[in-house]
Amino acid sequence: MSHFLLMVVYALLLSVFFAALWRRNRREQVVLFLQLFIGMVGGGLLVAWLMYPFPSGPPAPIP
Amino acid sequence: MSAPIRSPETTRPETPAAKAAAAAALDAAAGRRGALAAMLAVIFPGLGHLYLGRKARAALFAAIVLVAVVIGAKLDGNLYTPVKDHPLTLLATLGSMGMGLPYFVLLLPLHYTGDVTAQGYDYGTAFLLSAGLMNLLLVLDAWDVGTGRKE
Repeated sequence: MSHFLLMVVYALLLSVFFAALWRRNRREQVVLFLQLFIGMVGGGLLVAWLMYPFPSGPPAPIP
Repeated sequence: MSAPIRSPETTRPETPAAKAAAAAALDAAAGRRGALAAMLAVIFPGLGHLYLGRKARAALFAAIVLVAVVIGAKLDGNLYTPVKDHPLTLLATLGSMGMGLPYFVLLLPLHYTGDVTAQGYDYGTAFLLSAGLMNLLLVLDAWDVGTGRKE
């Protein structure tokens, strides 16, 4: 699985979970789901874009 | 002339002491219900909500937590166990154990440990730890619903 797909799956699971846990009304659940999902995926992409100019360096040693 | 009709209000306890006793009995029953729901939620994700009659929510929560566990295990993530001289692993272990029965099924019969050299190790660890933490939130939610603090 690609890194992006894993991030999307993770964001999807958490967004559905918190929308169902924190809101009871269906419309409010959908709104919260979209806020969380877009926030997580969009935030991840934004951080990736900001980090893009920086070199990754050598891989970390396996402990 | 007909006899006066006794409304339900007239049959209820009127003295403050009787009212307090009735309220305490109700609180005790709600507390027991909440405690049992929370205990069931600790054992298996969604079980507490199922006990409280929230079948759809129970199925959704169980599915989310179990999907996270399966993905985490497929990616060979770390299923935390306490490591000597690393106190933070104790917290991570408690968080992972929050998933309840799946944690012990992975650990004992399946002897799952994860693979630090696997490509998806870090992602898998995040999924497994999140599954445990999500179920801990479900325990609190089951407690709140059971005691009547939440719908």
